[in-house]
Order: sequence, then C-alpha cells, then structure tokens
Amino acid sequence: MRISLSWLGKYIDLPADTDKLIQTLTFSGIEVEAVEKLPALPESVVTAKVISASRIPETDHLMVCQVEYGGSQATQVVCGAPNCHAGMISVLALPGTELPQLTIKSARLKGVESHGMLCSERELGVSDNHAGIIELDPDTPVGVSVNGIYELPDAVLELEITPNRSDLLGYLGIARDLSASLGLPLKMPEIKPVEGEPCADTKLELILEDSQKCPRYTARLLSGVTLKDSPQWLKTALVKSRLRPINNLVDVTNYVMLETGHPLHAFDYDKLLPLQAEDGHPAIVVRKARSGEEFLALDGKSYQLDENDLVIADGQRASALAGVIGGKDTAISDSTRKIVLEAASFEPMTIRSTSYKHKISTDSAYRFERQLSPSVTAQASDRAVELLLETAGGKVCHAIYDAYPEPERPRCLALRPRRFTELIGYPLESEQIITYLEALGCKFLQYGTWQEKPVYDPQQIHCHHLEEQKAGKTEFTEIDCDHALYFQIPHYRVDLTREADLIEELARLDGYDKIPRKKAVQRIMDRHAHRVRREIEDHFVQAGFYEMLNYSFSDPEQLTAINFPPNEAESKLLRLVNPQSSNQSAMRVSLLPQLLANLNYNLNHGERDLKVMEMGKLYWKDGNSYREPLHLTALLTGKIGPGHWQDKPADIGFFHVKGIAESLLDKLGLQIASSCEDQQPWLTAADNLAFYCADTLCACLGRLKSEIAEKAGIDIHNLKQDIWVLDVEVENLIGLTRDSQPRFVPLPRYPAVTRDISFVIDLTVPYAKIAAAIEAVDPRLISSVSVFDEYRGKQVPTGQRSLSLRLMLQDKEKTLTDERVEQVVASVLKMLESTWQIQMR
Amino acid sequence: MKEKLKEVAAQAQTDIAACSSINDLLNAKARYLGKKSLVSNLYGQLRELPEADRPAFGQLLNELKADVEKMLKQRELELKQAGREQQDLSGFQDLSLPGIYPARGALHPLTLVRRQIEDVFIGLGFEIAEGPDIDDEFHNFDALNTPEDHPSRNLADTFYLENGYLLRTQTSTVQVRTMEKYAPPIYIISPGRCYRNDKPDPSHSPVFHQVEALVVDKGISMADLKDTLQNFAQIMFGQEVRSRIRPHFFPFTEPSAEIDISCVNCQGQGCRVCKNSGWLELGGAGMVDPNVFKILGIDPEIYSGYALGVGVERIAMLKYNIPDMRILFENDVRMLRQFSGVLQ
Ligand SMILES: [Zn+2]
Repeated sequence: MRISLSWLGKYIDLPADTDKLIQTLTFSGIEVEAVEKLPALPESVVTAKVISASRIPETDHLMVCQVEYGGSQATQVVCGAPNCHAGMISVLALPGTELPQLTIKSARLKGVESHGMLCSERELGVSDNHAGIIELDPDTPVGVSVNGIYELPDAVLELEITPNRSDLLGYLGIARDLSASLGLPLKMPEIKPVEGEPCADTKLELILEDSQKCPRYTARLLSGVTLKDSPQWLKTALVKSRLRPINNLVDVTNYVMLETGHPLHAFDYDKLLPLQAEDGHPAIVVRKARSGEEFLALDGKSYQLDENDLVIADGQRASALAGVIGGKDTAISDSTRKIVLEAASFEPMTIRSTSYKHKISTDSAYRFERQLSPSVTAQASDRAVELLLETAGGKVCHAIYDAYPEPERPRCLALRPRRFTELIGYPLESEQIITYLEALGCKFLQYGTWQEKPVYDPQQIHCHHLEEQKAGKTEFTEIDCDHALYFQIPHYRVDLTREADLIEELARLDGYDKIPRKKAVQRIMDRHAHRVRREIEDHFVQAGFYEMLNYSFSDPEQLTAINFPPNEAESKLLRLVNPQSSNQSAMRVSLLPQLLANLNYNLNHGERDLKVMEMGKLYWKDGNSYREPLHLTALLTGKIGPGHWQDKPADIGFFHVKGIAESLLDKLGLQIASSCEDQQPWLTAADNLAFYCADTLCACLGRLKSEIAEKAGIDIHNLKQDIWVLDVEVENLIGLTRDSQPRFVPLPRYPAVTRDISFVIDLTVPYAKIAAAIEAVDPRLISSVSVFDEYRGKQVPTGQRSLSLRLMLQDKEKTLTDERVEQVVASVLKMLESTWQIQMR
Repeated sequence: MKEKLKEVAAQAQTDIAACSSINDLLNAKARYLGKKSLVSNLYGQLRELPEADRPAFGQLLNELKADVEKMLKQRELELKQAGREQQDLSGFQDLSLPGIYPARGALHPLTLVRRQIEDVFIGLGFEIAEGPDIDDEFHNFDALNTPEDHPSRNLADTFYLENGYLLRTQTSTVQVRTMEKYAPPIYIISPGRCYRNDKPDPSHSPVFHQVEALVVDKGISMADLKDTLQNFAQIMFGQEVRSRIRPHFFPFTEPSAEIDISCVNCQGQGCRVCKNSGWLELGGAGMVDPNVFKILGIDPEIYSGYALGVGVERIAMLKYNIPDMRILFENDVRMLRQFSGVLQ
C-alpha cells in the first residue's frame, strides 16, 4: 500500500527525519518495502497558460504553442502531446531545468524553435501518467511554482500490511498506529453524519437477502450532483497512490477508501431498475448470484457467475460483484444526476474466492478480503457524503438506508500484567499498559478477575478483590492482586480477540529491542576442535588404521632407544613422584615408543599387515608450568590393503604414506608445502618429509630406521618389511583451520585444453619446483600441472629421468585458440630448456 | 515383370532364413532394401513401364518391400531369442567370490563409547568442557570440599609429579575450572583421562576414562538429575533399561548418590554379571555441595545444581561384554577388528 507522507502529515505531526519514521514503522510491525522520494521541483517549473497551439506543417502530432507564464513573460514551445490545446493551463519547464529524468534545453524541432517543455506528470516524477501533458484547473494562477500543487517535496512509502491488520488499510489507521508508537496526538478529521433533506420523489427499495455474506449494507442517495473533474488537491492525493483521477464522483469514493481503508461504490440511481417494471422505485437486492448469471463489469468484460458469488443487484440484474467490481450498466456517466452511495461490509472468504475465481484484483477486493468492521462502514459513508456535497454539489436525501440485522457489540478483553512478564520476559507497569492500549483506541474500563473469553457486557466483570474488601478483608497478598485490566476494544481492531493479542500489541509498541536476552546455556564448548579431532580420527580409520589407546606414562629409557634428542627429553620430561614401575616413571613426550610396542605385540600375534595410530595428549614440562598438546602418531607396515584373490595389494611405500597425509591436509582445506630439511632422528635420511602450512608444521613422515625397530624388539630381518611413521600435529591443524570456510569460485565458462609434454631432466631437480616454474610462465592461462609418468632406464642417461607432464590451459574470458595454446606450450618448453637444459622426447 | 517380383520374394525368403547372425541379417537387409539393392532397382524400372501399368506394379512393389521387411524383423527376433538361450560362457563371472574391500580400520571401543556419551549429552543441550590431565590440589581436592586429611590425597591413591602437580583423580577438576570461568546457567559434560594409583586388574586401571556432567541453574533439583540419568541410560543401553539412585557419600555433593541401571545382561532378573541383584553400578551423582558453590563464588541461595559421573571403561565393558579391563589397553588388533562395524 502506498502512503504519501504529505497526506499522512494531515493527521499527525510526522518526524522531520524520514529514516526515523521508517524505523518506527518497521519496529512497530509495519514493514516499509520501498521508499520513493519526490524532491521539490526547481523554481523554473511553473504553471503556464497555452495561448495558442497550431500544428506544425508536415508533422502528424507536433504543435507549436505560445505560452504565458506570469506577468508579461511568454515563450514558444513545441509540444507533441495529444491533449495540447489553446486555453489550457499546464506546467512549463524552462530551458536549463533539471527534471528527474532529463534536462530541458532550447532546441529547434522541424525548423521551429522551442524554449522549454510542457510536462506530463511522469516527467515531473509525481506519477507514472504519461498519456498527455498536465491539465490544471482553469482557475489556477499562471507563473507559480508547482510544488504547492503537488505538495512537494514528498516521500511515498510502500507498506506491507500483514493480513490480520485490516485497520491499517487506510491513512487514518496508519496515523493512529503511529500516534501510539510515537506518543504523538492525532488530528483526525471530524466525521459527522450529514442530516440531509427530505426528498419524497427519490426513494430506494433495499433488500438484504444474505446477511451471512453481507453483515451490513448502507446506502445514501444524492441528487442534483454535477459530474466534472476533481479539484486539484483530490487529484494530487490520488496520483501519489497510483490511482488515476476519473471524475469527482468516482474520485471521492476512492479518496475515502484510501483515507478510511473502507471501499465504497456509487451507482447511477436512474439506471437501477425497480423490482416491478411499472411504477416501482429503483431497487438494490443483496443476493447470491444465480448459477450462470451474466455480469458485465466496469472493466468491459463479461463474467459468468455462480451461486458462491455475492452480487448487488437492482430489480432485475446484477449491478455489481459485491466488494470486487462495479457493473457497466449502472456505472456513473456523463448523464448521471442522482447517485446511490453504497457502503457495506462483506464476508472476506466470499470476496477472496470470487476475486480468485474470476481473476479480478481491485483495491476494493484487496481490502474486503480482510475482515473489515461493519462499524467503519457508516463512518466511511458519512465522510464520502461530506466530500461529495463539497465537490459535486447537489443535496443528500435525509433517509439513511441501513440493513444491519446483527449490530456489532463492543468487546471487552481482560489482560493480566503478570502474563505480559511471563510471555515477553520483562515487566510492564499497569499505567504504561493503559497508556499504550488507549493510544490504540482501546478504553480502560476497570480491574477485575480474569476471564479468558471476551466479555460483551461490562456487568459481567467482577472484582473479587473489591468484593472481599467490602466483606472486611484488609490485607492482600500479591496473589490476591493477580487480577486483570479490562479494556474495551475499538470496533476497527477486529484482530484483537484474546489476551495474547493485547500482549503482542504492548510488546510491539514498547519495542522488541526492550526484551532482555535470557541465557539458556553458557556456550563453553570448542566445537571446532571437537570436529577437527573427530575428522582426523575418522580419516585414519577410513584409511584402514586401528586406534590404540596407551597409558599416559612413559619410560625415559625408551626415548633414548628411538634417538629422541637427550636435551629435549631432559627439558620436557615430567617425572612422577610415585610411579608404579620404572618403565612408567614419567609422562609421555612421544607416542612412538608405545606404538612400537603395540606393533611388536601384534606382529608376534600373527598380524603381518598393520596400520595403527594413537591420538592422545603428550605432556611437556614448560618452565615451571606444563603443556598438554594433542598429537597423533601412526605406524604402517606390510601391504597397503587387505589381500584379495583378484587384486593383489602393493607393499606400503613412501607415496602411500605421503598420500594419507596429503589427503588429510587436503580434506581440512590447508594449502601445504613440503620440506626435506627437518630430519626426524628416528627416520632414515632418504625418506623423510615434513609438511608446512605457511610456517606451521602440520605433519612429518618417513621410514623408521631399522636399528630403532630392533631396539623395540621387532625382528626386522625376518619381517623383511619397512615400517613407516606418520606424525600429525593435531593442535596446529586445529589452529590453522579455525574459522576457515571454502569460498565458491564461479565455474569456468570456456572449455579447458590439455597438452602433454615429455622431457629428460636431471634426477635431482624436484618435480614440485618444475611444476611451480611452469605455472609461473603464464599463471592466467595455465590452470594446472600434473605428472602422469616418470621413467628411468635404458633410453635415459644415468643420473637423469624422463618426466611426462599434463598441462591444463583455460581462459576465463574466452575460448582458447590452438595458436594461443601452442604459444604458451612453446614458452614453457623454452623456459625448461633455459633453466634446466632439458631434452625433449 | 511380375515373375521377377516373385523370384526376388522367393530368393529373399531363402537368404534371410539362412542368416545365422545379426551381422548376416544386416548384410541381407542391404542387399534387398539398400540403395543399390534388388528392390530399389525394381523401383528404377518403374519408369520404363507403360504409364497405365505403373500404379498396379508400384502397388505390388510396395507389398514386396513390406514382405521383406517383415521377414527381416522375424528373423532378427529368432536370432536374438536363440542368442539368449545359447549363452556365451567366456564372460562368465562367479558372483559368489568375495568383493574387494576398501581398507578397513576401527576406533578403539573406549573412543566409540566416549563419542556416544558425548553425543547423548550434546543432544540434551549440554556443552563439552575440557581441562588438563595434570592439575593442582586446589582443583582436584580443595575446591571439591575434600578434607585435608582425606585418604584419597595419599600417595597410595593419587599420582604426584615432581613439580608439585598431580594427575587428576576425576574430571570434576573441569567442573571447578568451568565454574571459575563462567557464570551459570552451566550445562556441561567433561570427558577425559583420570589417574589413580591402582594396580591393573580385571576392574581397575591406573589410567582410565570418565565422563562427568554438571548442571548449575536456577531451580535445579534431584528430579532433573533423575530425568537426565534415565534419558542417558535409555539412549546408551536401550529403551527397556531402568535407572535408580541410592544414597551414598561424596565430599562434593550433598545429598550424594550412587547410580544403578537395571542389568543389561539379564534385564534385571539376576545373573552372574549383576551378582544376582538385577542392578549394575554405573557411577556417582548428587546435588552440588553448597560449600563447593561458596568456594567458587556462586550463590547457593540463587543457584543449585547436580553432578553425575560415569566410567567409560565400565560402560564399554557392559555394552560390549568385555570381561577384563586390561583387554582394553592391550591394543590387540584382533580385538579392535571386532569393533570396525560399530555404528556411532
Ligand atoms: Zn544380571
């Protein structure tokens, strides 16, 4: 729903800061979906009178106009609008004016000079009407700013009204809600029923057949009305709400709908047929449509109705689809002199199904689809009568036709302040409760014992507190005082039917930001560490490892046996005062000795292929304190997988172990580099590798020295298997992966091209270095380098090897041409030749 | 001309019947219906006929073409049928041979049980809190209301380190550390290693694992403890399991209780495992002693709480029918392999 602030400002003093207003609306539950700012127009946009307009020869629509715009000032403009004619008052933008979409310049069109432009409303930015240039009232003064006419500057808010709040479907409702949330007074128009005059010859026969679907139908008759253009203020109000002005009679009903939220309809009295052909008064019958009944609507279309539709009929035929759209036969037209003003309320389900079934969506149906109070009906009617008399003249008949079989009774609801606290989480003083609810139009009646159901008769409200006081009780506890505040609910708030509804209103007006946070649980857990640890354990289990759990104690002697550096052992070892035995006399600083013992135990029990690991704390002295880093060590020996009749598994080799480490680090999303420089004293120098992420050690791996296996009691000569060791720095991995998330990279839109190259190169040049150098040749186009073969043998000289690499090339912006691919490959080869003197194969 | 047609039809019948494979059939099809085939030649000859005869002959030719197509289709069906009946055995697979297993490992049963307990409590809204194995007398004894002369402080019961620290005898140290650092409401479990100077035997180990739960909030009573306990017991051991608490003594809880569950071996009927009592002892519990709260600066007039602790080894042994605690620390792969199929 569109709300113009300059119009809204007639009912309440709005804050000067529009952003603050939007904030207030949003937090009181009225969502502002869009804001359209209508800035003031420059002084060079003025009202102007077209003195003469004549067609420019050899053009089909261009006119040359002499235009006056105040005093003796006049100019010549060329205008192409179809409605341009001599004598009209329009709006002129002089050369140099900056309008929202264009800047006006003097120009020559078809050889005719034009100094300025006559504007449409769209060009001024006040509406989307571009059918022609603006035509103002003939009595509009010439040469004045149009800001006053269009009430600029202004802002139009697009509001989303929730389905329960039918009271917010008009300006008055929005103003009322704002007054409650801003604590500002309302300036409501005084709406009084117009008494009218007796008119013996103008009568209506009103029959309400279906009071279920139409709880109330009212009509007033006006005669002697003059159909004409609406006054400018009325047009301005409508265009800002994106309603097109039509004529004063229709415009008033639309204006009142926008103001009160209650739709109205006007029929041409003289076109309504009586029930009996001769001698009857025009009739209005509110009834179900007949199955197959034809109805010609205002939109020019004919609809086939059924018994679920409700129609407003005259004596013979359907004159309107109730609450949805009027009929063509009884519509207001140039000949209209007498009108029937309908104000009625309809059952929402009927409106909704009719509007859905016939695919008609109107401003009227939008409002009637929500429950509107029948009490507002009379108010809307009175307001419209007042404005019709003002804009169309004539007189209103004294008679008020009002079919209202079951009038609404005012509803009272009980609210316990304690329930507010229980539901919302903090207390609200009774006085504050009364202030808020009265601002919404509720009326505080009295205190009383709580009742769940609405009370329609205030006599039904009892106060045991007062009664007991009368009976002589003088002291009351808090529980005794747990009684309720009774409020009478205003008729327009059809949504307030229970205590919980009132509590919601209070919470909304006091602001959800006032609700304190009640902590249910202290968050203590390191969820990230928990997840990473499980991820690592699971990674090893999926790779075929069995988890070992050993005591936290160690034997200092065994550290020597694994070549653990003696200085480091001395500085880290925490000794027990009362160990159970000498081989459990200190806390462990390495998992390796116990795992070697586990390996030996299992080898001795007939297992040949073993993958075992332990993830556990190490315990280090750290000055006067200590540390307990989490660590993982894994040992591997034998075949890589289980034996199978078809698929013989390979012996575990360096690249198997490396792959287990790499795939783990990969799974954790870490960018790693390897280094051969850190030598673990228990690993052989030739197969010894460490992984780093930036400068942080992540893992190291290699082949266990055979003398260490021997010292651990393993019969390495009989075993004839290598033992591999993999250490994972769990603490570092937890730290490195904290708060890291993958970020989606848009998929390439152009195909990749692969090229294979093979060459002979010195054995000592590492593959990683070669791959990096290749990628650096053209990082934009070379998306990956991988190796698919290494060969050493007869055709390759000693000390050298042949490498076969696959390059993947891809351009993010376009498809790569063969030519470009060959260029890149050539520069790669050139680089390899000049750097490492390779030989192509 | 008609003669010629009959001849072609007869020849096609013989040829197609002689086809012994789909390949032969494709060749025959090319010979009779292809671009330069017998039938298409006949279509070519149409033009040489007198105009009046053309429609009749064209009609016959169309019929011939349809006949040949029908014969081809029929023979194709026959060949396919035969092919199915006379299977080619060269590709035969013995599907009963074992499949290729991906590598298979297993978590240690103590890790499995620890994870299960963690997940039960995380599901009940608890947080996991952790702390060091090495701790001091304050966190392990003093803050837990243990008297100076309590026997558990002895060298015979507790391991001490040369630097004056000790190895925690229960994970209650983490409860103390959590209450030092965080204000209520606290809902935590603390899983971890504990140490007591016991010689390894079927039911003791100097190194063992515990999970303790601690709740501190307004209005917490033993009724809350009972509910958590019953939920825990059922999720860990099954819907039929019942739990109970019996009066006991611990320095840091008042009132204190021991926790029992109905015997998982005999469903409470009485057996060797439960020594005919129908109940199995699972751990200890109780309402946090007001002194503990006072030491840690929590007002016992506002807050109350319960603690409960269970042994991971004990639960693993009951759940998986492991008769001797020492088996858990042997790390025998043949034992571990039995747990590679445990769902978590
Ligand atoms: Zn039993």
